[in-house]
Amino acid sequence: MKIAYFIAMAATGAICAGTAFADGHANHVYGPYPVTLLGYQGGETNSVSYSGQVGRQLLHNSLKKAMSSGASIDVLNGYFNGSDSALELLDPKSSDKFKVDVTNINDVSKTNLSGKAYKGAINGWPGNMTGKEVLASMIERGAASNKGFDAEHGYDYTQLVSKFAMGAVFYHQACDNYLDEKLEADNKPNNKPYKKGKHYTGKEHSWDEGFGYWGAAAHGATLSARQNYDIAKKKDMGAADANGDGVVNLKSEMNYAHAYYASSFDKGGVTDYYNTITQAFIDGRQIIVDAKGQALSNSARSDLKGKARIICSNWEKVIAEAVFKYAGSVYGDLEKLKATPGDGKLYRKYVKHWGELKGFALSLHTSGQNLGEVGVKMDRLIGHGPVVGSVSPASLNMMPKQVDGVDGNGNFTMKDRTIDSYMVHMLKVQKLMEDEFGVTAKNNDKLSGIADIAKVLGSSDSAEND
Amino acid sequence: MQGEPVLPPAIGFAPMAEYLELFQTDILGQFLNPKKRLFLGYLFTAFLISFLWLYLLRHNNVKQVFKTIFSPVVWLSRSSKLDVVCFFINRVLFVALRPMLITQIAVATALYHFLHYQNLFPLGVFSDTSYALSALLFTTCFFLLDDFARFAMHYALHKVPLLWEFHKFHHSAETLTPLTVTRAHPVEGVLFTLRSAVVQGTTIAIFLFLFGQQLNLVTILGVNVFVILFHGLGSNLRHSHISIQYPKVVERILMSPAQHHLHHSSDIKHFDKNFGVALSVWDRMAGTFLHSTNAPFTFGIGSETKQYTKTIGHMYFLPFIKAAESICSLARTKNTIFRNYNYISKQEANEEFKETRKC
Repeated sequence: MKIAYFIAMAATGAICAGTAFADGHANHVYGPYPVTLLGYQGGETNSVSYSGQVGRQLLHNSLKKAMSSGASIDVLNGYFNGSDSALELLDPKSSDKFKVDVTNINDVSKTNLSGKAYKGAINGWPGNMTGKEVLASMIERGAASNKGFDAEHGYDYTQLVSKFAMGAVFYHQACDNYLDEKLEADNKPNNKPYKKGKHYTGKEHSWDEGFGYWGAAAHGATLSARQNYDIAKKKDMGAADANGDGVVNLKSEMNYAHAYYASSFDKGGVTDYYNTITQAFIDGRQIIVDAKGQALSNSARSDLKGKARIICSNWEKVIAEAVFKYAGSVYGDLEKLKATPGDGKLYRKYVKHWGELKGFALSLHTSGQNLGEVGVKMDRLIGHGPVVGSVSPASLNMMPKQVDGVDGNGNFTMKDRTIDSYMVHMLKVQKLMEDEFGVTAKNNDKLSGIADIAKVLGSSDSAEND
Repeated sequence: MQGEPVLPPAIGFAPMAEYLELFQTDILGQFLNPKKRLFLGYLFTAFLISFLWLYLLRHNNVKQVFKTIFSPVVWLSRSSKLDVVCFFINRVLFVALRPMLITQIAVATALYHFLHYQNLFPLGVFSDTSYALSALLFTTCFFLLDDFARFAMHYALHKVPLLWEFHKFHHSAETLTPLTVTRAHPVEGVLFTLRSAVVQGTTIAIFLFLFGQQLNLVTILGVNVFVILFHGLGSNLRHSHISIQYPKVVERILMSPAQHHLHHSSDIKHFDKNFGVALSVWDRMAGTFLHSTNAPFTFGIGSETKQYTKTIGHMYFLPFIKAAESICSLARTKNTIFRNYNYISKQEANEEFKETRKC
C-alpha cells in the first residue's frame, strides 16, 4: 500500500513538474509564433523575423572589435555603412569553447548601422551634430587615433562609438520607432503584411524588430542573470545552445548590447531588468498572436502600448545604471590618478571608463523623449571630455584641462578644469541618475558609504534632546 | 524620463492610507526600535535599575518599591496625561513634517562635495587605517560631537528668550515620566531634527572623506554602542521621579538622572544648570554644572505652568505669541538676545515662581 502510495505521489509530482516546465517554457521564450496573416498561402510556419536587427548587432560588435584593433577607416565604415562584399564577423568569433554559426555578417542580413542612427541633434558632443554625424565623426577620428585611443584629449573611440551606437541605433529604433509610432492603428496594421509579399503582419514584424534591437536570446528569460551574462561573454555554450545542435545560433541564442548590460546589473540580485523587458516583449507578442491576423482592437493596442512602456522605461533605466556605474569608475580612477599622477596604464583605464560613461549618457538622449533640464544637467556635468593633464595627459595634476568644443578647423578646443570639481561632478551624475531615473543596482556607488552609515546611525528626525 | 506604466488608482484615499501606515510604523518604532530611547528594552532596564536602587540602596521592601515606581500621583497626574496627549499629537505632526525636513544624507552629501574643494586634507588620506580603529574613532567622535551639540542646543533653548518660550513646553511638566522626553514643542522638534541632521551629516562626510568608503560604527546588536549604553543604563530615568545619584566624581563626568531632575527644578538656584545629556563635562566648561542634591524641590516653570498648560491649544500656540512678544521686547530694550538671570533680582524670580508645588 505504502509503495503504491509513493509511486502515485511520485508520478503526480513528475506530471505536475513536467506540466509546469512545459507551460513555463512556452511562456518565457520569444517564438516561434504561428503565421497569422489572413489569406497567406505560402509554406512559412513561423512569423518571427528580426534578422536585420541581429545583423546590426553583429555589425556593432565587429565595428567595436575593428576599432580596437586599429582597422582602417574603410574597414570601419564597412561595418558602419554596410558593404556589398562579405563582412567578416569579428565578434563573436567561433572557438572550441563557443561555436557560432556565422562568419560573414551579410549571410545573416545585408544591412548597416548608419541608416538607422538617430538623426536628432546631440548637444552633449562638440560640433552641433546629429546622432548619425556624431557616430561618423567618432569613427573617423577613431581611425586616425592609436587603435581608438586619443591620449591627448582623453577619448577612447572604441568605447564612445560602441556605447553611443547601442543607443543611437538600437534603443532609438526600438523606443522611438517600432515601439512608438508603429504601434498606432494606421501604421503597420496587423491585418496587412509588413511589406507586400511578406508572411508576417505589420504589427508582428514591428514588435519583432523591437525585440531584435533589445538583443536578448529568445530563451534568455528561462536562464539566470549569470547565465545570460556568461553567454554574452562567450563563456557558457551550454546555456546558449538552446536547441542543442552544438552551435550557438547567433540569430536567436546570443545576448547582445543592452540585454547583456541588463544581465550584468541583474546578477547583483537587486534588479531584474533582463527578465522584465524580455518577458514584456514575449507577452506583447502574444497579444499580437491572439489577434489572429485581424487589426488590433483599441484595447489590445492599449495593452501592447503598456508592454512597450514597461520595455522602454526599464531599458532607459539599464542605460542610466550604466551611466551611474561608469561615473563611479571615473571618480575612482581620478582618485587613484591624483595619488599616482603619470600612471599611463591607469590613465588608459580612466579614458576607457570615461568613453563608456559618455557613450551611455549620450544614448539617453535618443529615445525620442526630451530629457529637458535633466539632459542639460547631465551633459554639463560630464562635459565634452575627461580631465587630462596639459603637460602629459596622464599627469592630471599638471594644469588639468578638458575639451570644451571644436574650432573652425574641426580641432578640439580645451579649457582649464580642476580634478576636484570634476570628481564632484561624477558624484552629482550618480545622484542625478538615482533621483531622475530611479536606478537601483547602483554599481560603483561612490556615495553608498553615506547612506550605509546613516542607516546604522538611525533616522535623524526628531532625535530627542532633553 | 520614460513614462512608467500607468496603473488605475486602487483606492481614492491612498495618500491617507499611506499616511496612517506611516503613522502606525512610527508609533510602533518608538517602542520597538532599539535606536529610540522609549524602546521597551530600555524601559525595562530603567525599571530594573530603579528597583535595585530603591531595594538595595534605599532599603525599601518590594511592596514599597513597586508603590514608589508606579506611584499613581506621578503616572496619573494631569502633567503625565498631557505627556501622552502631546506624544500622539507630535507624532501625527512629525510624520507629516518629516519629508520636508533636511536629512543627514543631504547634509553629508553636500559637505562631502565641498570637502573635495579644500586642499588641507586629501581624499582618503587615512584610508590605510585599520577597519577597527577607524570605526572606533568614528563612533567616539560622533558620540562626543553629538553630545556636545545636544548640550549647545539645550543651552540656546534656555538662554535665547525666543527659544525659551518654546522650550517651556517641555519644562511645564510638573511630574516626569519617560514619555516626558517627547514632550517638546514641534518647533523644538524641528530644531532637534536639524541639529541631528547637521551632526550626523558632518561626521559622516568628514570621516568618509578622510577614511574612505569602508566606514563603520561600533555597534551592539546593530545599535551604536554609546546609544545602547546610555539608554540601557537608564537614560529614561532622567525623566522620572526616581532620583538616582552617581558618586560625585562620576557626576563630574557623566550626567546622573538626579542632576537632570535639578535641571527641571523650579527653584531659582537651579535655573539654567545641567544642560548636558550623557556627559556633564560641557556644563563644567560652561559654568552651568551642579551636583545632584537630596534636598526636595519641585518641577515646572512656576506661575507660568498653569497659563501654559491651561489647554492643549495653549501649549501649542501660546509659545508663538510669547515668542513674538519677546522679539518686540528685544527690539524695545535693545537687550542681548541671551536671557540672563543675573539681571533679575532673586525676589522677582521667586515671585515669578511662587506657585510651585512639591513633587
